[in-house]
Amino acid sequence: MLINHEFCEEKIQSPLQYTWSTFKANSIAFTAMWGVIILILTAVFADFIAPSPASGEAVKQLLLPPYWAEGGNMVSLLGTDALGRDFLTRLLKGIQLTLGGALLITLAVAALGTLIGATAALTRGIKASILHHLLDALLIIPTLLTALILIVLFGPSYENCLIAVSLSLLPQFIRSIYLSIESELNKQYIIALRLDGATNIRLLRFGIFPNMAEPIVTLLNGIFTLAILEISTLGFLGFGSPFLDAELGALIATNIEWVFSSPWLVLFPGLAIFIIILIFNIFTEGLRHAIIKVEDQ
Amino acid sequence: MLNYLLRRLNLLLITAFVLTLITFALSSWSADNATANTHYISHYLEYISAIVQGKWGLSAIDQQPILTKGLLAFAATLELCFIAFIIATVIAIPLGIVAGLNRNRSHDHIIMAIVLVGLALPVFWLAILSTMLPTLTGLVLPAGGSISAVFEIPSISGFLLIDTLLAADTYHLDAFFNRLAHLMLPAAVLSIFLTAEMTRLTRDSITVVMKSNYIKAAYTKGLSSTQIVITHVLKNALPSVIHQLRLKLSTIISFAMVIEIVFAMNGAGDWLLTSIKAGDYIALPTAVLLISGFILLTSIFIDILLMIISPVKRKSLYVD
Repeated sequence: MLINHEFCEEKIQSPLQYTWSTFKANSIAFTAMWGVIILILTAVFADFIAPSPASGEAVKQLLLPPYWAEGGNMVSLLGTDALGRDFLTRLLKGIQLTLGGALLITLAVAALGTLIGATAALTRGIKASILHHLLDALLIIPTLLTALILIVLFGPSYENCLIAVSLSLLPQFIRSIYLSIESELNKQYIIALRLDGATNIRLLRFGIFPNMAEPIVTLLNGIFTLAILEISTLGFLGFGSPFLDAELGALIATNIEWVFSSPWLVLFPGLAIFIIILIFNIFTEGLRHAIIKVEDQ
Repeated sequence: MLNYLLRRLNLLLITAFVLTLITFALSSWSADNATANTHYISHYLEYISAIVQGKWGLSAIDQQPILTKGLLAFAATLELCFIAFIIATVIAIPLGIVAGLNRNRSHDHIIMAIVLVGLALPVFWLAILSTMLPTLTGLVLPAGGSISAVFEIPSISGFLLIDTLLAADTYHLDAFFNRLAHLMLPAAVLSIFLTAEMTRLTRDSITVVMKSNYIKAAYTKGLSSTQIVITHVLKNALPSVIHQLRLKLSTIISFAMVIEIVFAMNGAGDWLLTSIKAGDYIALPTAVLLISGFILLTSIFIDILLMIISPVKRKSLYVD
């Protein structure tokens, strides 16, 4: 019903556009989105923006404080570590390894988990039942313990750390995807699609996944947060990367001896982890609200 | 009800079976015996009978039975989790209720901001910072170790808090309070995550309950908010919080293990790390079996408990 009795000037937005405009209206989430973009760019171009080459151990002064503290200088903005390496460079490299690793893990887990979860939800019988019992058992084991076991099996290195963490997070993603698809399958529009003779691929593409945007965003955020925490925890325990390219957890572990004399060496990597997780969480929370609002319309 | 119990028992048995398969593969890998190539089934049966008889093998470090060592370590972890859980419950439930009742108002926003921060803090980093706390602020709390070395506590139950109480005639309550003081900082660190998680769950659950018709009916009866919360809301909101918290059990235990490593306390994390670093790989399957077994039994126990205390869930059983 047109109110102005002329023609409709207001453009009717597609769901995607509408989600975007709702999301933009939330200023905190929008700021967080820029934070996410900056963080990802930092991770990708860490080697280019770093003030000194990552391995260049130009031994200047050891344990220099950050520039604003007494005794610091502008050459090394965040000071130097016990080997005289520029700490900002180390931190950027750490962010690259931790954040990049977590993003890779999230992508890999999402792709593999969606494939397995969707297959399990759409098939019946013995295959699905075996998968479920296996998942039940794997879900019981704490993820950190699974990652620890796998890394002991593979041998400690950064790549193995990533593989171990993604395998440890896979079962819970499969289970959650499976449950979401299962609850979608009972809805009437899916049954209607089925009666139309839609194939499974078509059912997933047009019926199920468009209606699962909100749980998928929540799930991916959960996986990402856990991945960051697990990579850094494994690194902290000494199962991650060796000394040259330290990720954030390993950075904390190597500098823990100087925690009283130069606390920033421990403080900054932890803050970096904290800020990464916080910004991503605020961003996905805003996204989730926007999606819910659009779905409620 | 009987049907439900049988189904839980079935889940328990099958999951336990798959678990033992996993740990069997692990322990035969760690033993790397050349003979085990052909007779997997008979080896598995031997393994199971050894597990049932309690012969879990000997630790390669000091030739002690690995089961006793593992149980002792895990008991310490559970103690830490328990104290943290008590702290978190006392703080989180009221916060969650306030946030849930004032949804989308300023109280709610402040509490949820705190929750977001609590969930984003990396646990091991927080633990390191809090080990510095006593020296920096002059706080009189021990920041490392399980109990002062002056106390010699005979291990009776395995739980140090209970053992120190049992040894009260030698040390009065000094040993107990010493142990409690050693637990304070680690438990506080662990409870930050736990509080954030519980507050979020309580808030979500209360929001769902507040939308239901019986709450509206209670308001029209003229009950005050406090009366409604006590008589109607909590009863209906808590079961789902407990159910969700059950799923977080494994995360809580892993965090507790990391915290123990930082604080150099006796516990599953410390034990596992020293065992792995010393090449004592039999600790791995033992830890998996102990911790996962504990989580499995607890979750099934909580499931059944929820079914008993919550009439709504019980009613859903009649459907199938």
